[in-house]
Amino acid sequence: MKVQKATSPNIIAFCCAQSAYQAADAAGFMRLSYPDNIRVIRVPCAGRIDVLHILKAFEKGVDGVLVLGCHEEACRHLLGNIRAKNRVQKAKSLLQEVGIDGRRVEMFTLAPNQGPRFATIASEMTERIKELDSMKPQG
Amino acid sequence: MIIAQRKPLEDIEAMLTGYKKLLVLGCGTCVTICWAGGEKEVAILASQLRLASKKDGNEPLTLEATVERQCEKELVEALKGSVQQVDAVLSTACGAGVQTVAELFPDTPVYPALNTMFVGMPDREGVWLENCRTCGDCFLDRTGGICPIVRCAKGLLNGPCGGTNNGKCEVDPEKDCAWTLIYRRLDQQGRLDLMRKYYPPRNFQAVIRPGKIEALPA
Amino acid sequence: MDKDLKLGIFLCDCGGTLSKDIDFSLIKTKLDKLPDVTFVNIGHGLCLKAAREAMQKDIKDKGIDRVVIAACSPEFCENDFMNVIQAAGLNPYLLSIANIREQCFWAHPDKEKAAQKAIAQIGMAISKARFLEPVEQAEAPVTKEVLVIGGGITGIQTAIELSNLNLKTTLIEKEAALGGKLNRLASLYPIQAIPQELLATKLKQLAERQNIDALTSAELIDISGEVGNFTARIKRGKKELERNFGAIIFTTGYDTKFSNQAYGFELSDIIITPSQLEPMLMSTSEVKEIPGRVCFILDVGDEHSRVSTISALRNALGVRQKFGSEVSILCRNLKVDSATLESFYRDCRSQGVLFIKFDKPPKISNEDGRIRIEVEDILMAGQPISLPCDLLVVEETSVPPRDSDVLSSALNIGLGPQGFYQENNVHLYPTLSNREGIFFAGNCHADLDMMRALTEASNVALNAYQLLSQGKVTVEAERVAIDPGKCRFCLTCIRACPHHAIRDVRVNHEKMVAQIVDLACQGCGICTVVCPAKAIKFKDWSDDQILAELELVEG
Repeated sequence: MKVQKATSPNIIAFCCAQSAYQAADAAGFMRLSYPDNIRVIRVPCAGRIDVLHILKAFEKGVDGVLVLGCHEEACRHLLGNIRAKNRVQKAKSLLQEVGIDGRRVEMFTLAPNQGPRFATIASEMTERIKELDSMKPQG
Repeated sequence: MIIAQRKPLEDIEAMLTGYKKLLVLGCGTCVTICWAGGEKEVAILASQLRLASKKDGNEPLTLEATVERQCEKELVEALKGSVQQVDAVLSTACGAGVQTVAELFPDTPVYPALNTMFVGMPDREGVWLENCRTCGDCFLDRTGGICPIVRCAKGLLNGPCGGTNNGKCEVDPEKDCAWTLIYRRLDQQGRLDLMRKYYPPRNFQAVIRPGKIEALPA
Repeated sequence: MDKDLKLGIFLCDCGGTLSKDIDFSLIKTKLDKLPDVTFVNIGHGLCLKAAREAMQKDIKDKGIDRVVIAACSPEFCENDFMNVIQAAGLNPYLLSIANIREQCFWAHPDKEKAAQKAIAQIGMAISKARFLEPVEQAEAPVTKEVLVIGGGITGIQTAIELSNLNLKTTLIEKEAALGGKLNRLASLYPIQAIPQELLATKLKQLAERQNIDALTSAELIDISGEVGNFTARIKRGKKELERNFGAIIFTTGYDTKFSNQAYGFELSDIIITPSQLEPMLMSTSEVKEIPGRVCFILDVGDEHSRVSTISALRNALGVRQKFGSEVSILCRNLKVDSATLESFYRDCRSQGVLFIKFDKPPKISNEDGRIRIEVEDILMAGQPISLPCDLLVVEETSVPPRDSDVLSSALNIGLGPQGFYQENNVHLYPTLSNREGIFFAGNCHADLDMMRALTEASNVALNAYQLLSQGKVTVEAERVAIDPGKCRFCLTCIRACPHHAIRDVRVNHEKMVAQIVDLACQGCGICTVVCPAKAIKFKDWSDDQILAELELVEG
């Protein structure tokens, strides 16, 4: 049973290759510093991410999940990001049902050149998870 | 097809208290298509059950399986090996599937994860509507293919009633008046003469419940 | 997952820059211990030819069957490395890349933490590699014929360009004559030619070509099939034709409408639209009374477009030259963002056209058979001007041509917010629709001047050429595939696919199932997720791979 480490929450970021993954690269180019506890999983479209992927991430001991895709109306696959948004909503309620705070999963949209926004999202989510971790009882 | 919906998770959890080994069993037919109990939903439900009990440290062993049709004895029988490994089966099939499993494995408690709601059809992505009441005495021939038992709030056979209101129902103003729809459909087909006929009350015992049909294997 | 895999791991220290911060030899030691890892190499620049050749040799010599590379972002290097391993005899999809540069060392100043993350990301890539599957290539035959819908200047030019590229073209036009607006304009911008003469030249070019079939009074009924193999049904009078095409190009242009709601008054003898002015300019002898002063007004309705700016400037000059009237153009702001439009504006001014800029919409009233315009000229500090004029030309809004909404939903082609066709990417792919093999050119998707529209005609002809010229296209076979045994034929994927890339087929003479059209698939994975029966497998982004990447999360 994994012990929660309050100082470095484990966050998985599912990043859409059309936007968020490139934004993460851009953040690196610009040498912007963001928390290193973010692990990135690249996907072809935010719409590739299933509710089950999010639930399994929590089963594996992840503390937070980010789903990052293109801005609304900018999805190359038209509604992939909207579907992802709906699935994140569903995942939130499924997590609440089992006593896991729904705020531990969140979707954000960004453009491929928004390196600073990626860094901000990474930092803010890390802070949010740290706060949630400090609120819950240990174990 | 049969439309069902998953019960609230707390109801399901209440059924399963104390069980350490579970088989979550899905069905690949109706409940797959209405997103209630197919392979995907089995995986999600099993994942939730594991997550829910992680905190207590009492994570159950959850086996997951889906059969093509859970109301088929032969298909369910094939799962004997898995059922023997568990204390209880959580079925995500309709009532027919749950009972088939229960009958084949009488020593193992079988629990329903779904509420079986109605016979219906998909309207658009994510929306399913009831359109058949399985009354056993179908008269869709006379109503242009629209069933007033399901869609008329009063279940009239000789509608509309006096409360029809610009195509909407007086009992539920959100609903379309079924007989207005029937009238328009019959009009479109040039069969309005049917509206002048009087139909006697239907046979409420067309199906003696529980229903049974026997045919000679031939 | 194959237990007897031979993973080959190639670490790159990016020309020595990364090994300052991380001890690659420690990582190598860790990785060497893994049972299915056959080979770990530390390289100093995998983008260099020598390093790649060495990699290919190692793959062959050590019998490596899955390659993991830890280097810069796959956004840069993935395609290259796929080619490299393919040349070494390995299927290019048996590759997994860990991003240890942009997303590790460049982003995290604490080098120890960055190293931890790098190890974790490499671990994730290795986990994924264990579930990689080869994707083979196949040849998909395509029909070397193109359908161009819309016989205005853009459609005509597109047909000519396609013909020059040796592609057989069918051009259909719903009116009785080709040419569209060229039949009805008095002048052109920026091309200095008489519209009807230009049209005559183009029609002659069309007729000279053996491989263009131009059909007038022909309307599209519907299109079925997918890229490379479309079937179009076309109605011509009472007859119905059915033809096969490899690509479809929409050049349906735009319609115009006058918004009397925005202006607050109706058209009349002396308040007319540009469409009504053009015939007056084309045959000036038939104009009964030459107007003494003509005013053009823009920007009263919605923000106006390039097309109406160009029309106003062009017609203002036309009136000056042919009637000799005094001409004023009243506008809020003049959009001169097309090629040479700025200098055209100056030409108009040097030829005596007056420009009055307003902020508040002018007040228009009728006065003894003339118009009186009262406007506050903002360039004169809001000084009120009262202007009588004999002819007021209002602005027309561009609207999508009739039936574009019907066509759009029948063909599953997206419309933009104003109802014009939606491009795949407004800047990068303006001629591409959301469906492979269906393209747009001209004003049916954007507000373009004629030069841009004609450039798009060349552009889109090349799009079709790239697709069809060989009569066949190499395609990834079954990169995303539906298992007919598990398919319930619930139609969810067919309805959900944004690129209309899934069709229904009958297998074994009995069962109907959904099938993905490889050439039309754009690899988004939406179908994979929505399939309620989990019947769809996406080989290079499979669930197994994604879930495997989650395994190594704990670092």
